[in-house]
Amino acid sequence: MTEMFSTLYGQNEAQGPPGSSSLGFGPGKPPLPPNQVPMAAQMPPQHGDEGPALRKPGAMNEPFYLLRELPVGNELTGNTNLITHYNLEHAYNKFCGKKVKEKLSNFLPELPGMIDCPGAQDGSSLRSLIEKPPVCGNSFSPLTGASLTGFRLHTGPLPEQYRLMHIQPPKKKSKHKHKHHRPQDPIPQETPSDSDPKKKKKKRDDDPDRKKKKKDKKKKKNRHSPDHPGLPGSQPNSNSLR
Amino acid sequence: MAEKFDNLEEHLEKFVENIRQMGIIVSDFQPSSQTGLNQKLNFMITGLQDIEKCRQQLHEINVPLEAFEYIDQGRNPQLYTKECLERALAKNEQVKGKVDTMTKFKSLLISELGKAFPEEMAKYKAIHGDDPPLLVTPDL
Repeated sequence: MTEMFSTLYGQNEAQGPPGSSSLGFGPGKPPLPPNQVPMAAQMPPQHGDEGPALRKPGAMNEPFYLLRELPVGNELTGNTNLITHYNLEHAYNKFCGKKVKEKLSNFLPELPGMIDCPGAQDGSSLRSLIEKPPVCGNSFSPLTGASLTGFRLHTGPLPEQYRLMHIQPPKKKSKHKHKHHRPQDPIPQETPSDSDPKKKKKKRDDDPDRKKKKKDKKKKKNRHSPDHPGLPGSQPNSNSLR
Repeated sequence: MAEKFDNLEEHLEKFVENIRQMGIIVSDFQPSSQTGLNQKLNFMITGLQDIEKCRQQLHEINVPLEAFEYIDQGRNPQLYTKECLERALAKNEQVKGKVDTMTKFKSLLISELGKAFPEEMAKYKAIHGDDPPLLVTPDL
């Protein structure tokens, strides 16, 4: 191998045109000894990294040197529309054609609690669950009577610091009434035992007050309006300069 | 496939509803609520057992970790799917542009080489004449 290179570079000094020496292999193809021609042609096929094998012996491919086979092309390239190829048009139109809502509560509307807040704030993130999975036993066994004694609670409402944890953000009122009825979530400073009639009574009490207030507002508006006949300021010539 | 997800979804919804009702009981606890609470606790354990059974059917399902990041930020995970599709389309267009440019370059190079070295190019085409075409090349 070294003899081949030395013969190549040794003959370059005396010979020829400058253009062909730009590649560094000398001016022309040097006359190799005949026993080294098949060596170049019999080079073992390269594995992957250096490309496909030499196609034919060098003498057959003259004037081309180290002419290799073209790589085998894949039928599937970036030239084709891959979304169409994998039948993802429907998915593309669904997700990219329409506006996707930002919040997690829009994806899971039935899930209770404040789910739009970042999980890192209250330690409920999925990442922490993956990084530090909880240590638990192999199976779930039901609680016995003795273990259930640990769940005896004191009567009365929760302390204030724990009350707000389960409250959901105010939901938009939907026009369609839900057929199934769900027990109401607790409201702060009120107990679930406070039933609806009290609320209805409060609404009934508020309504006449509201009506009175509306009437007062209307009267005030009418007094100050230019169309009202009773007021001195409402006459067209009252404010004119004299 | 969808049945497995429906089954899991149903169990999860029941579990969450049970937990929610436990929260209501606990928020203003009364002595008469103790038996109900105990019942809910046992429902919670059976719910976990049911979810555990669903796991065996879904062990082949892989979820990308990036989707979990969206959920942890309180964002809709469908935005992750949307962004994946948009990125895939953008990359597809980029690669298509490169392929088209290289194809045009190849055809231009062959035509110019044919003008400069007609004999050599004829030999080259004779050698590569047996090879299948790799790309859709325009007529030379």
